Formats: sequence, C-alpha cells, structure tokens
Amino acid sequence: MRPTSRPQTILLVEDETELATEIKAELETRGHLVRAASIAQAADAARVGDAAIMIMDRIVFGEDSLVTLEVLRKEGVKVPVLVISALASVDERVKGLKAGGDDYLTKPFAMVELVARVDALMRRLDDVRTTKLRVGDLEMDLIEKTVYRGGTKIDLLPREFRLMEYFLRHPGRVITRAMLLEDVWQYHFSLETNVVDVHISNLRKKIDTKGAPSLIVNIRGAGFMLSAHA
Amino acid sequence: MLEFFRSSAVRVALAFVLVTTAATTAVFGLVYLEIREANEARNRLILEAEAAKSVDRPVDELRSAFEVRLTHDLRRIDYAALFDSDHKVMFGNIDTLPAIPVDGKSHYVTATSVPGGGNLREPAVFVARARPDGTIMVLGRSLLESLAFRRIVQSALLAGLAPMLLLALGIGAFFARRASRRLTIIHDAIARIMKGDTQLRLPVGSRHDTIDKISRDVNLMLDEIVRLLVQLKGVGDNIAHDLRSPLAVVHAQLERGLESSNDEQLRGSVKQALTHIDRAMLTVTALLRLADVEYGPKSNNFKSIDLSAICTELFEFYEPLATSKSIRMTLETQSPVRIVGDGDLMREAVSNLIGNAIKFTPENGTVGISVTREDGLPVVRVRDTGIGVEPAERDKIFQRFYRTASGHRVPGSGLGLSITAAIANLHEFDLRFDDNDPGAVFEMVGRKK
Repeated sequence: MRPTSRPQTILLVEDETELATEIKAELETRGHLVRAASIAQAADAARVGDAAIMIMDRIVFGEDSLVTLEVLRKEGVKVPVLVISALASVDERVKGLKAGGDDYLTKPFAMVELVARVDALMRRLDDVRTTKLRVGDLEMDLIEKTVYRGGTKIDLLPREFRLMEYFLRHPGRVITRAMLLEDVWQYHFSLETNVVDVHISNLRKKIDTKGAPSLIVNIRGAGFMLSAHA
Repeated sequence: MLEFFRSSAVRVALAFVLVTTAATTAVFGLVYLEIREANEARNRLILEAEAAKSVDRPVDELRSAFEVRLTHDLRRIDYAALFDSDHKVMFGNIDTLPAIPVDGKSHYVTATSVPGGGNLREPAVFVARARPDGTIMVLGRSLLESLAFRRIVQSALLAGLAPMLLLALGIGAFFARRASRRLTIIHDAIARIMKGDTQLRLPVGSRHDTIDKISRDVNLMLDEIVRLLVQLKGVGDNIAHDLRSPLAVVHAQLERGLESSNDEQLRGSVKQALTHIDRAMLTVTALLRLADVEYGPKSNNFKSIDLSAICTELFEFYEPLATSKSIRMTLETQSPVRIVGDGDLMREAVSNLIGNAIKFTPENGTVGISVTREDGLPVVRVRDTGIGVEPAERDKIFQRFYRTASGHRVPGSGLGLSITAAIANLHEFDLRFDDNDPGAVFEMVGRKK
C-alpha cells in the first residue's frame, strides 16, 4: 500500500569506504536504492524528503553525526534513521536513540542484521495504529489481549503475546535474534545461548496446527520470519 | 589491637622504650650499687679497724671502752662483747658468740638475736678477733640503718625511673601513632589503587623524610605502570577496534559469495569460514564490551534498581531453555532488593551467570537463583549442579579468555565471566566462586561501604 511518491533511496553516511561499499552492495542486491553521502548532503536530502531511511555512522571523519540528527529532529524531519556505531556501551546507545535515532547497531555486525533492521525501518512508515493484527487465519486483538487461530482461542503468556505481536507487526520480514532480544525483552547484550530459539519453539507449539507448516520459519544464518501468506 | 602491635612503627617505638628504660635502669642501678658498696665497705673497715685497735687492750679497759662505745658512739658500733675461751660471754651486749670465723675480718650475719630485743632479729656485720689472752672480742654493727639508707636510695631511684619510663613510653607512642597513621593512610591508598582506582596516588607530605621519599618513588612507579597498562590495553583494544570493519566486510563478502555460487564444495567452505568469522566477531564484540565496561566513561545510567525484579525477569527468560534441557530452575527472592546501579548492565551480568549455569549443567540438574540481603549487603547467587570448577582452575576462571578444560567443549567467547566481574566491580560488588559439590555457586555480593 505504499504511495508511489514515496522515496526509495537509502542514504548511507559512512566514512569507512570498504564497509560502505559492502553495505551498498548488500542492500542493492536486495533491491534497495542506496546513495552514499556526507553528513551535510544526507541532511539536505532528508530535509527535502528525498530519503526513505538514513544509515548513519556515529562518527564520520571525526564529526559526531548525532549533532546533525538532533538538529534534523528539531526541524521536524521524520525520516527513520539507523545509527551504526563503534561505541557499544549502553550509554552510547541511549544517547543515539535520544538524539532521534530509530535503531542502533553496533559494529561489527553481520549484513543480515543490518538488512533486517533496514527492512524493519522501511516498513515502519506503513505502520498504522491498529487494534487487530492478522496473518492467515491467526488473529490478534491488541485490546482484548487475545489470539485466535482459525476460530480457536490460544492462551499465550504475556511474553509470548509480545513475541507474537512483534512477528505480526513485521510479517514477511527477517527478524534477527538480536532484534527480538532488544525489542521484546529489552536486553541489549549478546547471548551465548539459544534461549530465543527455545522461546520461538514454545510459541510455535502453541500457534501451529498439526501437520501444517509452521507460521514462523527459520531463516538460516539470519533469524526468523513470519510467513506472510500462511 | 593485635594488628596495632604488629605494625613496624609500634615495634620501633617499643624497642625505643625498652632501650631507653634499660639504659636508665643501668645508670641508676650502677649508682645504687656503688653507693651500697661504698657504705658497706666503710662499715666493714671501721669494724675491722676497731677490732685491730682494741685487741691488745687489757680486759678492764676494754669493758669501760665497750660501755662508752655502746652508750655514746651509737653511730659506729652497735654490738660489743668479750667471750672467754669457752665462748661464754664475759661482758658486752651479745649473749652468744655469732657463728663466724674468729679471724678479725668482718662477716655478714643475716639475723642476730638482739639482746633485750625479744624476737627481733636483724642483719648485722660482725668481727670476731682472738685476743692474746685466749678471749674473743666481738664487735658488730647493725645493718638496719644501712638497709634503710639503701631503701631510700632505691625509692629515690625508682621515683626517678618511673617518670623516665612514662616519658619514653609517651614519646614512643607518639611517634608510633604518627608513623602508623601515615602508614595506614598509605596502606588504604594502596588498597584502593589495587581495587582499580588507578588515578589515586600516595600522599606526599612536606617533610622530605623516608616515608615521603618512598611514597614519591611508589607514585612514580604507579605512573609508569598505568602508562604501560594503558599502552598495553590500547594495543589490545585497537586490535579489536581495527578488526571490526574488516570482519564485517569479510563477513558480508562471504555472504554475498555464498549467494552467487552454486559450487557446493565452495559453498561448504564459505559456510565454514562464516561460522569462524561469526565466532571472531563474537569475541571482538565481547572484548570491546569488556573494555567499555572496565575503562569506559562511568555509566550515567545509575539509578535505583531492584535486583529481585531483574532476577525474576531473567528467571522467566531462561526457564524455557532450562526446561528444554530437563533442568529444574528455582528462584528465591526477598523482594525488593534495591541498589543504585545500571539495570541493563546488571541484567547482563546476571544473565551471563545463569546462561553459564544452564550451559554447564547436565540433564536433570538444578539451577537455583536467589536474591537476598545478608548482613545488610545485597547478594545475587546462582547455584548449579553442573560440572563445577576444578580446584586448580578456580583462580583462573575470572581471567580473560580462560575456559576450563571441560568448558572447551561448550561454545563461548570465554569473556562472559570477565564481563560479569567488570560489571560487578563497577557496581562495587564482588564476584565470587564457591563449590556447590557437585556444581558451582557464583555470587555477586555488595561491598561494605
């Protein structure tokens, strides 16, 4: 349901050329339009609404890009921004989000992680305030806090409900484990165990119907995806 | 108190007091002995001379002389008597011949029965001398007076010694206190530096004494150590830092290569390479995280947080994983246990401990989490019935990259406990290990303020 006038260009502000090249190549193979830019160029493009989203390195040629981001936000520029940074501390992440970043990714990251987050941000504009989420015959009522699959009520624990809601809000998108940790549990650290997978598998047991393929599928090397057309 | 006497300053002070006392006592003792000797020698000489002088005098003359002596010259002769050859008293004021050799020399008699004195016995010096007519002349002098004199000298000396001793003690205590106070300050400073306050230095006064000199030297040494530490850490961090982009780039290139090739053999190799790069990225991330927690700017995200709530939340997060491994998980909280800290960091620290516990606990084991306040200090304890830690490895598990011999089979960066320890330290908590027999107990305990 995207309006045709909507800009498709992803602005990339990154001073490490090799990394910039890889990011550009990666996003382009996935059908995105990517344009490398300086902080000033990116800001100008964002002001005239010529950017779908912006990917900004935290420090570009010694300059703190958050300063520009803050200015843009004050001016009312709403373009989604993914901040990528070498600064991993929780404080820095909070700072990045406070300045107006929509997501914060710490180096080094796998490209799947970046792509998943870019997709989530591109998608974000389509989000509307809704009270019901649906995929296939699974329906979630956000007000009643209920989930029905083909007319049968499914009892979910609060955390399972939030997990399901997150998938329903991003159907057909790759969701990484890190995204789930950050957005569902608010854990901003990496885990050396497969806890998330166990939670997913518990959720599947509740929502899936016997014999039918699972609603939530594993994406090798990346994470999970809710089949959009189950 | 025992600690106080063990300090070297106090020992030096005590030695000072001892030496001063010994020297004073020696001087006083010498004076006393000299006086006593001189007094006694004088008494003896007088007695012996008197005896020699009177030995040839006729008996009658002697008798009157004795009477005069005994009644008038009280200072010099106290006893005088003449005994016949059968040792029977002829005249004088002694009843029996003292048991001393009849040789004209003075002899010390410990107790003499005093005629007319009843049971009074007193020490005395006697001279017995044989006279040409076979009689024995005995002269004696009571030592009572001399003893009294000795006592006077004694008490005079003691009266002098006591203030000397007190003075020495006082001076000693003063210096010991001063020295030990300075040493205590230095000791505390070193303890804080060892706990990680690398900016702190030893106090240097304006006295230019040995302690100041050593403090200055130690400070210079600390500067050098910190410089080396920063340099060394910088090298490690820079390596980690510089590896991030190449790793991300290589990862991306391999991923793209994987998609563009149908050669199964090549794809297999690339997939393997990717898992190794993933692991390298995990380590680099953990290393940078550790550096950030340890040396980064202090989190300004400190506020009142509830450890019970954090652990309850993590318990719920990890329980499905435990269940999938048939591990029973228990939670014991005494809510709420509030501390001032960074909730995200504390969550990470406890998460590492619980993750480890589940990782190293076999099926049908138990992982218990408890949050308590013990002696007023907050304690988070994670107990498992897993493989535990070999005694020989216990000192090393908190070292960076250390993985136990048995832990090598389980994937991980080997930095989890280091990160937990660093976070604990940031919150002024200690991370400790204990044996659960079988299994391990890791506990984070708040330090006494």
